[in-house]
Amino acid sequence: MGSRHIRRASTATAAVATTTAAVAALLTTAPTATAATTTINPTADTYVQDSTPTTNYGTSSQFTVDNSPVRQSFLKFTVSGLTETVASAKLRIRVTNSGNSSNGGTWKSMADTTWTETGVTWNNKPVINGATVASLGSVANDQWVEIDVTSVVTGNGTFSFGGTSTSTNGAYYDSRESGADAPQLVITTGTAPSPTPTTSTPPPSGDPVLVGAGDIANCGTGGDEATASLLDGITGTVMAIGDTAYPDGTSSDYTNCYQPSWGRHKARTKPATGNHEYHTTGASGYFNYFGASAGDPSKGYYSFDLGTWHVVALNSNCSIVSCSAGSAQEQWLRNDLAASTKPCTVAYWHHPRYTSGSSHGPNTAVQPLYQALYDNDAEVIVTGHNHNYERFAPMNATGGLDNTRGIRQFVAGMGGTGLGGFGTIQPNSEVRNSSTWGVLKLTLHSGSYDWQFVPQAGKTFTDSGTNACH
Amino acid sequence: MSRQSTIDTQTLQPSPPPAPHRFGRSARIATMVAATLALAGVAIGYGRLSSSAEAPDAPATAETVSLAPGPRLLTLTSTGQVTTVDKNNPGGERAVSKTKCDRVYAAQGTVACLYADGVLGSVTMRILDADLKERKAIEVSGVPNRVRVSASGRMVSWTAFVGGDSYATLNFATRTGIYDTKTGTLFKTLETFSVVKDGKPYQSVDVNYWGVTFTSDDNTFYATMYTKGHRYLVQGDFAARTVRTLRDRFECPSLSPDGTRIAFKSPINGDSTRGWRLSVLDLATNQVTRTAETRSVDDQAAWLDNSTLAYAQQHDDGTKDVWSVPADGSDKPKLLLRNAHSPAALG
Repeated sequence: MGSRHIRRASTATAAVATTTAAVAALLTTAPTATAATTTINPTADTYVQDSTPTTNYGTSSQFTVDNSPVRQSFLKFTVSGLTETVASAKLRIRVTNSGNSSNGGTWKSMADTTWTETGVTWNNKPVINGATVASLGSVANDQWVEIDVTSVVTGNGTFSFGGTSTSTNGAYYDSRESGADAPQLVITTGTAPSPTPTTSTPPPSGDPVLVGAGDIANCGTGGDEATASLLDGITGTVMAIGDTAYPDGTSSDYTNCYQPSWGRHKARTKPATGNHEYHTTGASGYFNYFGASAGDPSKGYYSFDLGTWHVVALNSNCSIVSCSAGSAQEQWLRNDLAASTKPCTVAYWHHPRYTSGSSHGPNTAVQPLYQALYDNDAEVIVTGHNHNYERFAPMNATGGLDNTRGIRQFVAGMGGTGLGGFGTIQPNSEVRNSSTWGVLKLTLHSGSYDWQFVPQAGKTFTDSGTNACH
Repeated sequence: MSRQSTIDTQTLQPSPPPAPHRFGRSARIATMVAATLALAGVAIGYGRLSSSAEAPDAPATAETVSLAPGPRLLTLTSTGQVTTVDKNNPGGERAVSKTKCDRVYAAQGTVACLYADGVLGSVTMRILDADLKERKAIEVSGVPNRVRVSASGRMVSWTAFVGGDSYATLNFATRTGIYDTKTGTLFKTLETFSVVKDGKPYQSVDVNYWGVTFTSDDNTFYATMYTKGHRYLVQGDFAARTVRTLRDRFECPSLSPDGTRIAFKSPINGDSTRGWRLSVLDLATNQVTRTAETRSVDDQAAWLDNSTLAYAQQHDDGTKDVWSVPADGSDKPKLLLRNAHSPAALG
């Protein structure tokens, strides 16, 4: 992974926040005897609030990140006069004397530096679209929180940072109007750092992994970053199972929402399209973003092999690309499965045949696809659409429990957008959860598979098991 | 009104201790005991009914499940099975039917069972008699959400979530229908009704209705009407096909048996993404009283009697429990029945 995505907790003086995001590679910076340190205050800092969309808070003595109301903060620093290489840069922000929170927010760099302190409001706010520099856990009253931004502040220039929070427990920080506790950018110049990898994720051993979820990137929830951080530590092929970029799958939704999080795994992602992609005609934003890996834009279905497994991604927008028996997609699927020489098969698409979710009922339009897979002895189907996690017992295409030939279907709609609950619990539903973002990891062995629900950092729900192939 | 009086007199009116539903310390203990008994009864009677994420169906009990008027509480299990239990002893054994609904309500022998068949993909407003035999089936579309029957048993209403309406400024749209069992008049949506908003005729393509509750005249009703970010309490006239707005930030009205108050949920600080607070509006004084339930309530509450509300709360695994709380803001919420939702007092 690139250095842009290094997240590091630095230790400096008193209490220091620690980052909660998964760290795939830590760099240690060699101390430099010749270092010079420059401390800069922001040229602008403010926040915006969704419930007061036209209000500017530029003169407030604090800034805040919160999810209820939704509040986002923006900081801007102008760095000039540096003549030597930046060895390190640290953004320091101080929690107010009563601003503590269980969630200090997610902080990212921003490309937009044109916003002004007294002009920005919810309605005209800049997009927080850069690399994540910190995903803060708990922050305490009067604590200086230090965030390593060396990867962002590489020399002279203007730099913006934006903060958001997924928590309804807002965190409050002293703004530059507060005086002595104003935010700081502490830049050390001199001897260039000599990064040394001290830890790294071990290379994958053994069998291929297929990992992912649906219902992913919704600017503002932060859940997609929580799940992208999980992917940072899991090698293998990523399945993005539809509703990948909210709200409408436009090109800018991908740029602003998907790219900053799951986008860093794009090269190993094999997507399927959901309904939100088709809010843009022909799902053109989706097909343009993912390119060849999404298959033919007029179809949106394709297959590939992973080890001893055959993998099929299908298009369950059946009113646009038909799923009915005899349709091009269903006939292609049957031919594709018949031609496969792999002993085990997994398929994924967006709309679940079976679900207990309260927002969308079980989908019967995809039944012919399920039937074709059943007729060809497939093992697993992974779906999304309802924003929660659910595992069903092996079933046939008409709801019957079938422990001999049945396919185990998952709903894995916990990829990052706002989570949703359950209605009536449907027959053969085995496990459910509506409170945890996460990814479903399938390890594809020869003749069997393991499934594992990997929860977001700080959450405990999990689910795992093993099944033999038919 | 006589039928409402019947409801009043047969149910949980203040009475000397040790009536299990009075409030206070001893009553709480009684309720805890009752809840414990409920669990025990469940464990003995129905195997795995009470527990586990798996939540399989319960075997139907031999006892006939009757939804005729009487001092019983109707609920659904988390898997949708129709059950009843002694309203004065909710910890007692539940009668469990094979009949499934996603949402249910009943009054005077009229049962409204809104049911989605996951295999067929159909959604049906099934109107059943007290013995759960079908009298009328109305095909609807969407995800079952609310259902209500007027106190006389004559009027039936339902709400389903419908996806894909482009005009939705919510992330969902709703369809609310009303059926008059006496005349056979059927409106599958109220969106054709004339609207008077803030005293003036009003039209907008984004109007959505949900959560109807009927008054005793079997014509006047209350409901939620959404338009342009507002969630209004409306009063409707079924015969005139009209509604008018009364208040904002007011969802899922539920009229008390004596017709004097409306329980409702209101978005916390006007923001439904933060959840809802369960409160009660006094129609004579216009005073709003918050119940002691501080958790979010996403339900159309049911009145167990003229002083007590019942509603469901959901666990992370989708199983649900029915809770009760006094309508006057006193005391605190009590767990009434595990693995249950969609409560309705049958008498």
